[in-house]
Amino acid sequence: MVALAVILSDLLFGIMLGCVFAVVAHGLNLIWGVVKVVNIAHGEFIMLGAYGAYFLNVFGGFNPLLSAVVDGALGIFVGYAFYFSFLHRELRGKERITLRSEMVTLVSTFGLSLFMSNLAVVAFTGDFVGINWSPGTVALGFLELPLGALYVTILAVLIISTSVVFLDRTYIGNAIKAYSQDITATQLVGANPTKVASLATALGFSITMAGGALLTVWIPTGINPYMGALYAPISFVIVVLGGPGKMLGSLLGGLTLGVVIDVLQAFVPVSLAYAVAFLLLIPVLLFRPEGIVK
Amino acid sequence: MRIAGLGVTFFGLLALMLLLLILPFAFPFSTSVIVINLLFYTALAYSINFITGMTGYVSFGHVVFLGIGAYALGASADVYGLDPVLGVLLGAALGLVFALMIGLVTLRFRGVYFAISTVVIALAALNIVLELPQLGGSQGIILNLGFQPYSWYYTIWGIVLFEMLITYYINRGKLGLGIRAIKSDEDAARSVGVNVSALKLYLFGLSGLFAGAGGAVFAWTTSGVFPYETFSLNFSLQMLAMIIIGGVGTALGPILGAVVVYLPSYYFLTVAIGTQLIIIGFAVVVIALFIPEGIVGTLKRRSASLRELLE
Repeated sequence: MVALAVILSDLLFGIMLGCVFAVVAHGLNLIWGVVKVVNIAHGEFIMLGAYGAYFLNVFGGFNPLLSAVVDGALGIFVGYAFYFSFLHRELRGKERITLRSEMVTLVSTFGLSLFMSNLAVVAFTGDFVGINWSPGTVALGFLELPLGALYVTILAVLIISTSVVFLDRTYIGNAIKAYSQDITATQLVGANPTKVASLATALGFSITMAGGALLTVWIPTGINPYMGALYAPISFVIVVLGGPGKMLGSLLGGLTLGVVIDVLQAFVPVSLAYAVAFLLLIPVLLFRPEGIVK
Repeated sequence: MRIAGLGVTFFGLLALMLLLLILPFAFPFSTSVIVINLLFYTALAYSINFITGMTGYVSFGHVVFLGIGAYALGASADVYGLDPVLGVLLGAALGLVFALMIGLVTLRFRGVYFAISTVVIALAALNIVLELPQLGGSQGIILNLGFQPYSWYYTIWGIVLFEMLITYYINRGKLGLGIRAIKSDEDAARSVGVNVSALKLYLFGLSGLFAGAGGAVFAWTTSGVFPYETFSLNFSLQMLAMIIIGGVGTALGPILGAVVVYLPSYYFLTVAIGTQLIIIGFAVVVIALFIPEGIVGTLKRRSASLRELLE
């Protein structure tokens, strides 16, 4: 009975962890799915979002949920800047991204990740910092759930489902979906591909940086310049598990990863649990390259 | 496609290597120590050049082979008291074996999928090593091999010489034609009968072998193996930066890139360690976006006479 309770609580924490992973990966998923580019510096923008929340907390007394909104708004500008400095030259006037352009974006964003993480050491120092915010707990049967994590879970699901509704139900959302399927046809029906692609990138960055702010609730002492090196690979795995471009895939991938990590932790050391979770990528790419659910 | 005879660059590189051969006797020792580090980075640059430079498969997780080589030397010297030179050979062998195993699976993935699977494998390898008490877990292995500068120097010198010769051998032969075909269009290459999978695996194996050897030398010179240091993705990033700045796929690019990346960082070491990585990162962004062929590639494209010269 005790063992069952432990596993149940691991499962529940795994689901909540999975939701925060999902929202952190969701921005990457959107950009990957629409403009077919993988931003290797994704983790550094999560880091930027986390530091944004930290400084808003230190100087403005904001809690991470409030900071997520501010980060999300800032992310729009960062995303547009990123699109026009890194992607525009490679995507402009092309019907689909070439392997060469893919390499250029991989390598240039890799340089960006090196640049940003080391600049962050100079700007923010290499110390681990955190946000002291704990709104208490709520009792659920025999389990005590931290309210902060619960709010984050709700917000994460809300962000992801809003993006699904936005893409399905609005005109501009439909244009983004159309762009992801066929750029030429999108142009033929009168949508400006640059506007659509840059908007999708900006939204992706907005979600990424908001995700970074939400993540701070889970890592009370873990904000540091190199955190991107952990959360970028986690995001890659999640997007591949869910299938790039499938918006609900982030949730599916995040939940899978969160549950695998939390349940495995009950049996093996933490780092092995992460190793297994990372390596999940390989069989999925081999056998289900379109994601675990068709 | 015409393959020109061995040019000025080849003999220039050979002359350079010969000069380096006698360097430890001609100069005070402090110079040799700088050259050992420079050759170490050159070895890494040539190693990643075999796969990323020649085929365009970006290996972000190349540090995994460096780590395996370092642990091969560390564990064999620590537990069995194996001679470090044999440790380097063991590192190379294990680098090759792991590269073949990893490559057999990951080389099926194209472009970005290959790139991220290598990142993930490198991180998983670090997390696994942390839990292996036989390899010292998170403490690593502290070796007591002493100060053996001549052996270090000639070992790493030999590794670089081998890499240069193999790079020329591949670039000029029939193999090179197949490899260039893969880089420009893998499906087309396959359809005209290039054995794409075997060639890619061959190159990945080579690059793993030399990265393993380089990693073993790293463990030997630093007299220890520490997981977070040897599996640090910064090594992968530096390797990539060197060939991107120097010029991917070329024979001269890796050594040029190593000089350009390492020497300034040696002088800036006293200023701030982070600053050099900021500059390297910025340089990679600018070069990838505006001159993706790197220094050597751009010079070759700009001028026909330089093209002959730099082959």
